[in-house]
Amino acid sequence: MSRLARSAGNRGSTPREAKRAMTYEVLLNTVGWPLAKIVVLLAAVLTVVAYIGWFERRLLGLFQSRLGPNRVGPLGLLQPVADGLKLFLKEDIVPLNARPFLFKLAPVFAFFPAFLGFAVVSWALPWATPSGRHHGFVVADVDLGILLVLAVSSLGIFGIILGGWSSGSKYPLMGSLRSASQMLAYEIPLTLSVIAVILLGGSFRLSDIVAAQQKLGAYFILPGLLAFGVYLISAVAETNRVPFDLPEGESEIIGFHTEYSGMRFGFFFVAEYANMVLISVIAASLFLGGYDLPGVDDAALYAAHPNLASALGVFAFAAKSALFAYFYVWIRATFPRYRYDQLLRIGWVVLLPIALANVALVALLKLWLLR
Amino acid sequence: MNAIGRFLQMVTFPELLKGMAITTKYLAKPKVTESYPDARPVLPYRTKGRLHVEIETCISCRMCEKACPEGCIRVYPPPKEVFKTDKRPAEFYLNQEHCLHCGLCVDPCPTGSIHHSQEFELAVVHYDDLLFDKETLPYDLDQKRFRWNLLENVPVKK
Ligand code: SF4
Ligand code: SF4
Repeated sequence: MSRLARSAGNRGSTPREAKRAMTYEVLLNTVGWPLAKIVVLLAAVLTVVAYIGWFERRLLGLFQSRLGPNRVGPLGLLQPVADGLKLFLKEDIVPLNARPFLFKLAPVFAFFPAFLGFAVVSWALPWATPSGRHHGFVVADVDLGILLVLAVSSLGIFGIILGGWSSGSKYPLMGSLRSASQMLAYEIPLTLSVIAVILLGGSFRLSDIVAAQQKLGAYFILPGLLAFGVYLISAVAETNRVPFDLPEGESEIIGFHTEYSGMRFGFFFVAEYANMVLISVIAASLFLGGYDLPGVDDAALYAAHPNLASALGVFAFAAKSALFAYFYVWIRATFPRYRYDQLLRIGWVVLLPIALANVALVALLKLWLLR
Repeated sequence: MNAIGRFLQMVTFPELLKGMAITTKYLAKPKVTESYPDARPVLPYRTKGRLHVEIETCISCRMCEKACPEGCIRVYPPPKEVFKTDKRPAEFYLNQEHCLHCGLCVDPCPTGSIHHSQEFELAVVHYDDLLFDKETLPYDLDQKRFRWNLLENVPVKK
């Protein structure tokens, strides 16, 4: 019971007032707090997504003996603002041949699934308030969290296919067809590599998987090294990034958002980066122990200073995710694009057998060693 | 055996790791970008920048004027009486609008009074600013700048 409900009781209130206080409490817990968390999370994620673009461009520049964007603000830190303004001010063109309604709907389809996945990510140990309540650093700590992430990240492909088809032009359509064939290649290895982690962690809930790693005393990257490799590769394909950026084909071929301009293009752009952040965050919680502080006894620290442990956990999580983000930029700076038959070959001939063997391996490991 | 070997190579991808090592090497290397407006570029010695005329040593022989394929140099010698003692031109015009930076005017000059400077920022605000005269032509070697100043009143020649 909250302080409010208790104080209502202390004042010797009528049952009606007590009931109202209870209703207030329930409303706060079902609507108020989740909404507040969603707003904070969305703001944080949007900021990170904006700056991951800056991060990528600067880093890509450094990899290529350039400096990258450094003119707008100190170190170019205002570049995302400038880019956003530019996209907002550009003319919004709907081609004559396009199906206008679907054409306008497609960016939304790409945009929302990318942000939906963040809802189930557990960012840190629960925050303890003075009144003795614990607020989880998660919008919805659902049982099937990781499944939800997989499901909604597959939904993002509909936005791409819809965008390509409704443009009413052949090049976007081809781009979105490549995207469909790409999905065939990576989806199954990706899921299988996650299944290995689920076997190890014994749960679909992301916070449980992190807790299992803390209990084991080792991150799942060790027992699930193969799964980690498969996840890394298929995650690149999942986010449509170089070297698997077939739907987009930024450098040479024309991709699914050829006909898009202004902020509608911006939505696809933001969705791609949001996907990249999501995939990094999920990788960090599945394989690198999420908000676990490396080399620190988290349980003891949490018992002593719960809020310190939570705050540090968020930073640890961010640092681990940044490692993945760095990795993705790194391979973007290194590799040229694969053809889509090559990608299918990698998916089905290399990744799938490895992922399958790994599931069996992890199952045996779980059976005999990690009970 | 061959198939297994190929599969192993596909799985361990040595060449991909090699590529990633190369990009990391370049990450640590110095960058080639010049932050131009902040840091002035170091130009080659023979950069063909805007023409610099040393009015003090010019003898008004008009060789440069004749050599110029664009006809963008006009030299006005001083009156005869003056010319006997002081050969410096009464007026020297360079129409930067037409100049090709070809250097044909530099070669025939008997006194070496005209040559290319390092100045490459040639954009001007007004069309008339492209016409340089005796006052605005010389290039201030210490300042690495023309004496011509945007903020001051630029003389407009008709
Ligand atoms: S550089 Fe060439 S075009 Fe320019 S003034 Fe000299 S001769 Fe004429
Ligand atoms: S050729 Fe040389 S000396 Fe003769 S007029 Fe031109 S700048 Fe003066």
